[in-house]
Formats: sequence, structure tokens, C-alpha cells
Amino acid sequence: MGARASPSLSFLLAASAALTGHAPARADETGSEQYAGYRFNVYSEDVLSAPALGDPRRYKVYSQQFLLNTTIGNRYALSVNATHEVMSGSSPWYVLPGPGGKPIQVLSGATIRDHRNAATVALTHDAGGNDTTTISATYSQERDYHSTALGAERTLPLNAALTLGFGGSFSHDRIEPFDASLYDRIQRAEKNTASAFASLSLVLDRVSAIESGIQLNYQTGYLSDPYKLVSVGDALDPDTRPDRRTEAAWLVRYRRAFGENAALHLDSHLAANSWGQHSLTLEANWYQSLRDGWQLVPGVRYYSQSRARFYAPFFAAGSGPDFSSDYRLGAFGAAAANLNLRKRIDHWEFSAGGERYHATTGYALGGTALADPATVSYTRIFAGLDYHFD
Amino acid sequence: MQTVQPWQRGRLARWDMRWDPDPLQAAMSQHAYFSKEGTSGEIGAAGGGCGCN
Repeated sequence: MGARASPSLSFLLAASAALTGHAPARADETGSEQYAGYRFNVYSEDVLSAPALGDPRRYKVYSQQFLLNTTIGNRYALSVNATHEVMSGSSPWYVLPGPGGKPIQVLSGATIRDHRNAATVALTHDAGGNDTTTISATYSQERDYHSTALGAERTLPLNAALTLGFGGSFSHDRIEPFDASLYDRIQRAEKNTASAFASLSLVLDRVSAIESGIQLNYQTGYLSDPYKLVSVGDALDPDTRPDRRTEAAWLVRYRRAFGENAALHLDSHLAANSWGQHSLTLEANWYQSLRDGWQLVPGVRYYSQSRARFYAPFFAAGSGPDFSSDYRLGAFGAAAANLNLRKRIDHWEFSAGGERYHATTGYALGGTALADPATVSYTRIFAGLDYHFD
Repeated sequence: MQTVQPWQRGRLARWDMRWDPDPLQAAMSQHAYFSKEGTSGEIGAAGGGCGCN
């Protein structure tokens, strides 16, 4: 983008950036700035509160993120984003019926240890007036998992207040599970995901804007979890899910400035998929600027999902053909609170914060008749540093 | 709804009025939600999948 052409042009481009779409990897989400950023995250899951067998030490993930946003000439912006993660801990394996039919969660050993490296490169062409085209490529690698994704999207101003965004992406994933022969797992499998999305961003007045967007995802291939088993009668069978899934989602985001030092962010998200699940997400964040370059950002989030039609903690003999006791396919709700503190000193900006996330079947809208013993609660803390080149 | 002229968009152009003011922080939050919840989160081009989900 031509962000460096003149102060007035920079201002207009920054104003446009406030109104445009949604692409997480797009460079113009940084406004007219060129900057480099680093974050360190520690994610730690609570010990299960439900009856469980196996190692109680659940997942812990250390993550490092790097981001570089820069311009190339007057019309192009380049964004490079890299992530390195180290994961360890035990994972829900299967569920056994206990006394009185109460589920007992069985966990894998805590010897699971893996690394993930991921990188995204996005190139944006700005034709002027907030007319942008972005192409992006992502590669993610673990010892047992590889994913490649390509995306393209466009933002197009329809008039002074309204901006259209649309695009699509395709990803190809391959999994080669550990110890496949030892545990009779699938040796190698693949899945594909195609997505299409569109959004409209509207300036409501001098202090507020709203965006509404829809997304369609279509997945085919191996969509089961090769590391999970299912208790079916007296047997343990592999987690087995349909080989295709269609999902639709609707997002609405609202931003409102209060005076010169505060802004309210409200986000809502509705989704439904062909496995019978639907979900609601509500999120609110308050951006409060304080004296001397300090900024405080508290936020809350609520999430609720229904269960997939083939989910149960365990199954009677003869059930199928699809069955899963993966807790992510059960009905549950989650509440989260987060806090982020930032401090700007010249070109440098320091940030630190944390999030507490608690999921339980009791938070699900409408309740649930089926237990989901492995729902996750976690604490995440992070710190980071940005350098702004402008 | 008012017609907002370019010179009246100072507040809309602020960092704290962007859809995603901190893309790194947003990416890590979404990654955690994506790996622990049954329906996908953000709207936009798909990033790389992972063995977490």
C-alpha cells in the first residue's frame, strides 16, 4: 500500500484500514505502520475435575510468535508471520462407563511431546482507495502432521461508507500418526478444506463501524482423530466420523470510540455444521488508553456449542457406523476473561497479559443430557514486544 | 446514518478501532479456541491446520 506517500495519504489509508475486512494475515490490518512483533505464550490446562484414569498432567504449550509487516514500493505490503510451539502432556483417550453409568475419562500417558512450526506469508496490492488484493500461503508442520494452505481475498469500496470483502482459501492436511502399527492406527491419511467468505463493513458515524460476514467451509477426507478410541459395548473401537463436513458461520463485529481514549469492541459469531453442531460466541473488549503511553484492555468471552449427532461418552454394542467420544464434539459452554496491559515508549511497545478459560457442560445453552467429562479449563499468559519502524 | 467525510474519520482511524488491533494476540487466542472447541472461529482465509483438532 502507498502508506508512505504523504501524511494525508497515510491518514486516509489508516482510516480505511479501520473499516476493512477481516484477514488475520493481511498487512493493512496494521494500518500504515511497518513493524516487527514478538510474543511468548504459556498455555496450561487444569487437571481434570471429573473421575479419570491415567496421567493427570494435561497439555502445556510454550509458543513463540514472530511477525514482520513491511511495505514494498508504494503499492505492496508484505506480512511474514512465524510460530514455534512445544507441546507436552496427556490427552483424553477414551471414556469408560463407571459405576451407575457415570463416565470415567481415560487419559493417554504424559509422554506426548511434539513441536509445531508454522509460517504465513501474505502479499497485498493496494490499488488505492482501499481497493486491495491479498494472496497468502501458510505451511504448518509437526512430526505427525503437515498442512499447506493458500488463500486470496479482495476488499472493494462500494461507496464512501461501505466496503465489500470477499475471498477463498484451500488447505491440504496430511497426518501420519505415531506408533501406528503398535496401536493399530491408520498409517497415513489426508483431508482437504475449501473455504469461501464475504463481508460488508459499514461506517455508521464518526465514532462507530460495523462489519457482517459469512463463511462456508467444506471438508473432505479423514476427519477422525487417530489417537482417540471409543468404548462400544465391551470393545474399544477407533474414533470414526463422517468423511465430509460442511460448515456455515455468520460474524458481526462492532467498534465504537468513546472520547479520545477508549473504544468498545463487540463481536458475535454463529456457526452450524452438517454434523449437527451449532454454536454461539459473544465477546466484548474495552480498550482504555491511560497516561504516559499505557493502555489496558480487559475482555470477556462466552461460547456455547451443541453436540454432534454421533457424540456420546460411550456407546452400546452395535452402534455406528459413526461414533466419537471426543469432548470437542459434545455439548458444553465456556466462559473466559482476559486482560492485556500495553506500554508504548517511542518506537517500542511492550505488552503482557493473560486469559482464564473455563469450560463445562453446565454453561451450555439449553443444557445437555450427555456428560462431557474431558472439557478443558486453561490459563494462558503472554508477553511481547513490538518495534514500530515509522 | 450520517455521511462521514474523510477528515471526520480521525477516531475511526485509531489503533484501538481496528477490527484486530493486535494480530499476534488474536491469532494465539483463536488457535486455542480452535483446538478446544467443535466449531471453527474466525472468518477469512484458512491458515494451516494442526494436529490439535
